[in-house]
Amino acid sequence: MTDIQAHLPHRYPFLLVDRVLEREPGVRVVAEKLVTNSEPYLQGHFAERPLVPGVLLLEMLAQAGGFLEAEPLHGAAIFLAGVQDARFKAPAFPGDRLRLEVEAEGAFAGLMKVKGTVSCEGRSLCTAILLVKRL
Amino acid sequence: MTDLKLRVKEMIIERLKLEGMAPGQIEDQAPLFGDGLGLDSIDALELVLGIEQVFGVKIEDEAAGMKAFKSVQALTDFIAEHRKA
Repeated sequence: MTDIQAHLPHRYPFLLVDRVLEREPGVRVVAEKLVTNSEPYLQGHFAERPLVPGVLLLEMLAQAGGFLEAEPLHGAAIFLAGVQDARFKAPAFPGDRLRLEVEAEGAFAGLMKVKGTVSCEGRSLCTAILLVKRL
Repeated sequence: MTDLKLRVKEMIIERLKLEGMAPGQIEDQAPLFGDGLGLDSIDALELVLGIEQVFGVKIEDEAAGMKAFKSVQALTDFIAEHRKA
């Protein structure tokens, strides 16, 4: 069982990974995020119809991507350097158990290219390519 | 222009989405980064992946990259040297 807080520097309310289900450093990670009604951003997005902002789905993939690194990321700053071909196909709602799948496509000179998919009950909600820079 | 050099230029244009650019417009000796084509570190990663996919040649580290990315001519020579015939 992966200790999430020992690996990622993110904390409430911005830690967006609840569980790591599968992990092969440098290759592939499958993680999970359960969207609850108490998420702070749902208060205003939107008042009448809470749904997860698309950019936060990208952040979830980026955080899941952090587990591609073999070593804990404390002290090692890791930044989003680029987002390519992001597609938002359907919104995520409170109560959704989101599956975050990330696959490493390659790395060079401290930059890693990651392909990610957010899905819920087998339905793809968001796909994107992320470029992550480690300093 | 040799066949391989033309394919290298086509790969650069396609991989980096240099739309509207023709292979003939890329100078053989111009540096790929900085003053030449003005590529950045994200472009470098794209090229590394493109070179591996198209030519089956791996650029292992930054030292190899420094050598290979000096110019289109240097990159063509690097690929010719490391490619399995």
